[in-house]
Amino acid sequence: MGSALENYVNQVRTLSASGSYRELAEELPESLSLLARNWSILDNVLETLDVQQHSLGVLYVLLAKLHSASTANPEPVQLIQLMRDFVQRNNNDQLRFAVCAFYETCHLFTEFVVQKNLSILGIRILSRAIDQIRQLDTQLTPIHADLCLLSLKAKNFSVVLPYLDADITDISTVAAECKTQQQQQSQHADANNDAKYFLLYFYYGGMIYTAVKNYERALYFFEVCITTPAMAMSHIMLEAYKKFLMVSLIVEGKIAYIPKNTQFIGRFMKPMANHYHDLVNVYANSSSEELRIIILKYSEAFTRDNNMGLAKQVATSLYKRNIQRLTKTFLTLSLSDVASRVQLSSAVEAERYILNMIKSGEIYASINQKDGMVLFKDNPEKYNSPEMFLNVQNNITHVLDQVRQINKMEEEIILNPMYVKKALGSQDDDLTSQHPKTFSGDPTD
Amino acid sequence: MHLNKYSELVERLENEEFEQVELGADVYQQLLAIYLYQNKLADAKLLWMRVPGKLKEDKELMQLNLLNIALQNNNYADFFRNIKYEWSERVKSPVEDLLNKQREELFKLMGSAYVSIYQHNLLELSLMSEDELKHACAALNWTEELDGDRVILKPKVQEAPPTRGNDDQLLKLTEFVTFLEN
Repeated sequence: MGSALENYVNQVRTLSASGSYRELAEELPESLSLLARNWSILDNVLETLDVQQHSLGVLYVLLAKLHSASTANPEPVQLIQLMRDFVQRNNNDQLRFAVCAFYETCHLFTEFVVQKNLSILGIRILSRAIDQIRQLDTQLTPIHADLCLLSLKAKNFSVVLPYLDADITDISTVAAECKTQQQQQSQHADANNDAKYFLLYFYYGGMIYTAVKNYERALYFFEVCITTPAMAMSHIMLEAYKKFLMVSLIVEGKIAYIPKNTQFIGRFMKPMANHYHDLVNVYANSSSEELRIIILKYSEAFTRDNNMGLAKQVATSLYKRNIQRLTKTFLTLSLSDVASRVQLSSAVEAERYILNMIKSGEIYASINQKDGMVLFKDNPEKYNSPEMFLNVQNNITHVLDQVRQINKMEEEIILNPMYVKKALGSQDDDLTSQHPKTFSGDPTD
Repeated sequence: MHLNKYSELVERLENEEFEQVELGADVYQQLLAIYLYQNKLADAKLLWMRVPGKLKEDKELMQLNLLNIALQNNNYADFFRNIKYEWSERVKSPVEDLLNKQREELFKLMGSAYVSIYQHNLLELSLMSEDELKHACAALNWTEELDGDRVILKPKVQEAPPTRGNDDQLLKLTEFVTFLEN
């Protein structure tokens, strides 16, 4: 082992033993390039360190291993095992001093397993990493986006869904972490990527919800992504906007309400999502035939954007919406009439659609095969069953929790010295600026 | 019969998937069968999508996927046709449970969605013999009628059992009202 590496090990050992983790965390980034250069003997270094006692030292060795992965070409399963071992046994108190390095390790690790097509093996590891590093259950970390990416790649959402279901109240960013640790931001080029990981989380999250057909929640995720205040439009936002339009058609049949503070959409995104706006306009005509034609016409663009599957869902949703509209006008209707009114090919196909919709509770009706009629009914829910009560009760609890959360957050803001200063300061500004204004508006001036 | 019957097995299998490389077809077979039984159709669809290419030629797995597709499309006739298969020991029990559950659901759905249905249509959907169907209909108190020479079945509307509120529910509501008033 080279003497420089021996120094590294000694440094880690002495500083860890004396508990000066802050000092260690400040010095270790400098050794990173040294470690990466010596990738061939890093396993020897690892042997001399203990994951529990020298978590910081091991973290940087891992980081170096991942940095040099393209040249060193390590055995994937072995590296994954190392990472798994690290997230299971590391010392959380030490990790707190090197949060940024930990995030970077996770990002590189994600890249590595995606490249090796072993995404599914990384899911549990990153989920454990998030549990370790986040300070609240509702805190968003940059690793969330990685976990979503792996889940999408592996097509396995059982682990990630609980994370997505939790409403975010706090965000951990590299920039903020660097500030608390008084480190130079320039050390971490990652600080510029905070926005990227934030947007990616909501974009991927929306895709995951779309895949499991939870369209309402997907719409919310895309909405967050496209309404994020920004100085320039990100391509993540543009892609999210395209999907947002499609999912809004499925959920609401028109473009969902978008808060006013997003000037980007009109100026930059609309012209770049032309095809999608055409789709929205045609959808509004309620003609399935026209919709089919336009989807066919733009199928190349939709396929290129990987939105073809979603386009097909939009087409199905229009049939369903048209049938739902019929229930509002008619009490009974023959199946062949239904078929011609919603432009389905035959009475048999109409029957199949209606049966499916009855099954999923989208309409209430009964079919009479004897005279080929369908009888539309009102919602039979009388709001007197225990299930409904439980449902209402869950909603009440949810709303109460949110009220509490909002109150808490408002209190935090009111007590924040920066806010108080600004709130008071702007009042002063207003007072002083009132005078000159009257004069500056004077045309004779 | 309840849904968490297989929860332990599922947990074990899912763990295997998360931690091992090169899984055998048996893990996927069992998971797919159980997801179908638990009516987790989205999970089942995704599972099929992530089955490695070479395992997709496994006969039993393909047969299970036929069931999967039939259920995704709500195609009862295909479902009952494809479930007639020599299932191996591993998946036999969930598949049998699935069959019983789908039969039950089919009749429940027919009961709520149809005022009248031709017997031959229902026979086609459920792939039952005439006697079996008669038996099942009799158990549900459905009546028969003749339309020419074809038999029409008239499902009986199932009345939901009446329910009464209890003190516990009242207490919760009181709590909520107090919150609103304060």
